Amino acid sequence: MSENGGALLQVEEVSKSFGGVQALRSGSFELSRGEIIAIVGANGAGKSTLIKIVAGVFRPDSGRMLVRGEPVAPRDHNVGHMRHLGIEVVYQDLAIVPNMNAPYNLFLGRIPKRFGIFVDEHAMRRKTRAILEDLKVTTVQSLREPISAMSGGQQQSVAIGRAIAWGREIVILDEPTAALGPTETGEVERLMHEIRDRGTAVILISHNLEQVFRLADRILVVHHGLTTPAFPRSGVTSEQLVRAITLGEQVA
Amino acid sequence: MSGPEPGLGVDASEEARAGRSEMLRNNVPYIAIVLVVLLFTIVSGDRFLSVRNWTFIAQQTPVLLLLAYAQLIVVTTGSIDISVGSSLGFSMYMAVLGMVWLGPAGIVCGILAATLIGFVNGSIFSLLKISSFVTTLAMLIIVRALLNIISDGGSIYVTEQAATGTYVDSVAAPWLLALGRFPNILIFALVVTALMWVFYEKTLFGQQLKALGGSERVLSLFGVSVTWFKIQVFVAAGFMVGLASLISLGRSGAGTPRAGEQFELDAIAAVALGGTPLTGGHGSVLRTVVGALTLTVVANGLTIAGVDPSWSRVARGVLLIIAIAISLNRRRIGVVK
Repeated sequence: MSENGGALLQVEEVSKSFGGVQALRSGSFELSRGEIIAIVGANGAGKSTLIKIVAGVFRPDSGRMLVRGEPVAPRDHNVGHMRHLGIEVVYQDLAIVPNMNAPYNLFLGRIPKRFGIFVDEHAMRRKTRAILEDLKVTTVQSLREPISAMSGGQQQSVAIGRAIAWGREIVILDEPTAALGPTETGEVERLMHEIRDRGTAVILISHNLEQVFRLADRILVVHHGLTTPAFPRSGVTSEQLVRAITLGEQVA
Repeated sequence: MSGPEPGLGVDASEEARAGRSEMLRNNVPYIAIVLVVLLFTIVSGDRFLSVRNWTFIAQQTPVLLLLAYAQLIVVTTGSIDISVGSSLGFSMYMAVLGMVWLGPAGIVCGILAATLIGFVNGSIFSLLKISSFVTTLAMLIIVRALLNIISDGGSIYVTEQAATGTYVDSVAAPWLLALGRFPNILIFALVVTALMWVFYEKTLFGQQLKALGGSERVLSLFGVSVTWFKIQVFVAAGFMVGLASLISLGRSGAGTPRAGEQFELDAIAAVALGGTPLTGGHGSVLRTVVGALTLTVVANGLTIAGVDPSWSRVARGVLLIIAIAISLNRRRIGVVK
């Protein structure tokens, strides 16, 4: 632990291309416990590819990733293993299964079983209620209905609740408030502080620079598939940040 | 809480409409069976309502019902299996051939054959990413051809007593013929129905079927091994076809090269008449029972009313289109080709 300075996550020069298109040339950054890092960049700069590597959706072509100082072996670089390590994502489109109910979506990939084959619906409903209560979401009417019957805000709560419930170490939020009104945005930001305060690290992807300045401890810029060294929010003006995003200028 | 959002977006009126169409989908099967029974009661009266006729219907429905369950398993995921008819015929023949070779225990050859066909279906579909329609269409042809090759155009009969002549291929299995008669065949079907209901509604596998029909992409984003699961889906359906082949063999008393022809259409029709959308994500075992029963009653009622068998098939084809038209979840279809 101490040899890597207590970094929770180290991403070292990871790259990824898809059929000849280099989506990410080289991405590097570190993340500590209880820290919020914002990843910013233009559309197509490689932000999504970078977080999908961290989430285990993509295996990097080169480079490596360490969690708690332990390198992730290429054959373990998958969603199941990253979730096992406590890394969860809230996707921009929420990634919910619309025809299934809230408990199923909360437990997606981790459904509790009885006798090895039966779904333990009772336990799922109980824990779902507890998780939603924890998030102070009290408007959900029925846990038996398909989630598509819920409002957008409630669906968002379930998607975030899922990430918070299982993401012990790192929660990644991909544009979590892009589709939300001011009230829900405030709610999501409150939750981000709450998970940060319990020691979980947060990776935030956002186009909203005001939000980035309001929340992030450090900022990482991705430009044309390259990351620049992350810098603390306090040392930068929004003008510098915009130039870094659009022109790839280093922020001193 | 919030208004419509991109990617999530269904506005209120669309949601209300979806709710209504779901209500319709859920209740159409029950309305249909009541209307059909009323119609034939008016047309044929006592002959249609007789105990003898309903005993016949109770014998006639189970094979179709089990094939419909196989179809339901696949359709819930949003795929389709049109090889179930060929698979049924092939498995019936393998079951009877197995008994010729190995005695009564050889009947498991039927279940094994159907399960293997399911495994091949699932593997081609899932690993080679060929659509389930094309995959199972090819298997419909291949399996039927294999059946013709193996049987060499001949049949093997199931008999009450050991045959004395040598020129007839047969195997004595009175217990199997007894299984094919009322009430045994109905009891068998009811037991399978109970197990199917538990499997479909209460197990993780059953829930995953619906989830896969809802969003395959999301399942893989959360670490569910979709490739392997899709193979298992077809294996489960194959096993169900295997069970159907046993009672079908008991009922018809022979493994023949043409057994099960066009049954795939009846199986799909039964599922659709049960209000299960072919687009996947939803389904119901109990309504599939109603669907299979409706289809059998229609065929039976038309026969009693003296309708020419060809016209009876026309009527069932029309019924298939009506059933699918009602059960389709059009919100999930962008372009129809």
